[in-house]
Amino acid sequence: MAKWWQCMKVVWSNLLVYKINFILQAIAPLFVFLFVKVSLWTAIYDSSAKSSMISGYTLEQMLSYHLWIMIVTLVSLGAINQDLSQDIRMGRITIYLLVPFSLFEFHCASFLAKQSVKLGIALFSLVGVIIFLDLPMEFSQITNAILLSLWAGLFWFFLNYFFGLLGFWLEETWTFSVMVQVITYFFSGAIIPLEFYPKWLTDILIYTPFPYLGYVPAKIMMGGQVDLNFAFTVLGVWMLFMGFLTQWIFRRGIRLYTAAGM
Amino acid sequence: MKARIKHYLGIYQGFISTSFAESLNFRVHFVLLILMDFFFYGSSFLSIHFIYQHVEVIGTWHRNELMFFVSFMLSVNQLAMTFTSESYWRFPELIKRGELDFVLLKPANSIFLVFFRYIRPGSAFNIIFTLPALIYFGIQLGLGVTAWVMLPFLVAVAFLLQSAIDVILATTMFWMLEGTGMNFLRIELQQLSRWPDFIYPDIFRKFLSLGLPVLLIGSGPVRFLLEASDFIPLLVMLALLVLFLIFLSFLWKKGLRAYESASS
Repeated sequence: MAKWWQCMKVVWSNLLVYKINFILQAIAPLFVFLFVKVSLWTAIYDSSAKSSMISGYTLEQMLSYHLWIMIVTLVSLGAINQDLSQDIRMGRITIYLLVPFSLFEFHCASFLAKQSVKLGIALFSLVGVIIFLDLPMEFSQITNAILLSLWAGLFWFFLNYFFGLLGFWLEETWTFSVMVQVITYFFSGAIIPLEFYPKWLTDILIYTPFPYLGYVPAKIMMGGQVDLNFAFTVLGVWMLFMGFLTQWIFRRGIRLYTAAGM
Repeated sequence: MKARIKHYLGIYQGFISTSFAESLNFRVHFVLLILMDFFFYGSSFLSIHFIYQHVEVIGTWHRNELMFFVSFMLSVNQLAMTFTSESYWRFPELIKRGELDFVLLKPANSIFLVFFRYIRPGSAFNIIFTLPALIYFGIQLGLGVTAWVMLPFLVAVAFLLQSAIDVILATTMFWMLEGTGMNFLRIELQQLSRWPDFIYPDIFRKFLSLGLPVLLIGSGPVRFLLEASDFIPLLVMLALLVLFLIFLSFLWKKGLRAYESASS
């Protein structure tokens, strides 16, 4: 446990070395994203003849949906693993093959450290929303949404770790990460709520992890009826699959690893 | 002047051939770049398509007008991804490792050498998505002959303004040293520019059109193409482009003075 704690402390201090960098990288995009969406939907509702309701949302509900999306995606889509493939390519993972703290444990501890910071920011934003915007909500809604977002965040970590491990075979893996990010933002309802999508598509999406990374936790925050057991189960199955896949990929990849000089 | 242009074209030819050679060594990455942009373009068009399934108009624009705007912005994005994007990520490494020294020693403009060095051939290939979209929605809108003639020049001018803003932001890396955050900010500003200016509240629209003119990149040219009498934003854009290029030259010199070679 001490090793995990030490590792987390190192990650926290690294984050604080370049504070502006951290703010610009991790927090600013979410606020810009929120600003764009608030502006866009306000313009849409202003110019809509039907005005009061679009696809079951009033303007107020649409804006609060996007506010919740910002808060839940801070937690669920927080993990990024840009360094892993580079570490593999440069032969920097050798140390984890020698010390009693595996590569997976190191990245898991880093993830927990970063996730704790993101969770802190999310909870801080949540308190701000409760105090200043006075949106109707219950304690159980907040708890369920945060727990589901944390669960989704763990899945997102596994997915990113998997793409990082592809560095055993590929020179660059960032294109995979960006691609998955684009697809995830689109299918998670982070850009527009899933009610706007064709029904056949949403019927398929509920069996994928995407809605649980944004849309579903946001709906819980808004007081919507959500089958939590189903949500946790679907994500759990995907996580189990990703867990096995990463282990398998690591075992295959490590055979190709030649330390420095890859 | 002619010899100078020839000199730079010769250098650029070298950049293109080395970038092609490099990308052909990493074929999977080449294909992934194409796929990545394809998904990005697809999600951009589909988002608007889904919204317009539920509303008639946004601001004063109907579906085809906004689709044309998005096609225009994706064309600019495609140029940026092809010609400059890679360099912004490599620039902070040049500063941190002191490798900028070798660039400064070469007999050519250092901004040109730093920001136009790396070309992504995979992204150039994506013109097969952006160009047909631009032409299709242009035809749907019934653009006139003048608009069609002006279109390629306006895409190029929009790309130049975006590049000027991006390079100015990148220049701050001389003082920040760590460049990832600034690159994310650059991407976020591009995100803002991918929607027409009229969606933003008045005060932000003014700031993002006159102070940090990211909204003019798309809205200036497209408003002119849709309605030739709406040319003021385009004129402002051209004036700001000149101003930003002058400011960039000044800031770059300041940045070079702050650069401490390998010890920075």
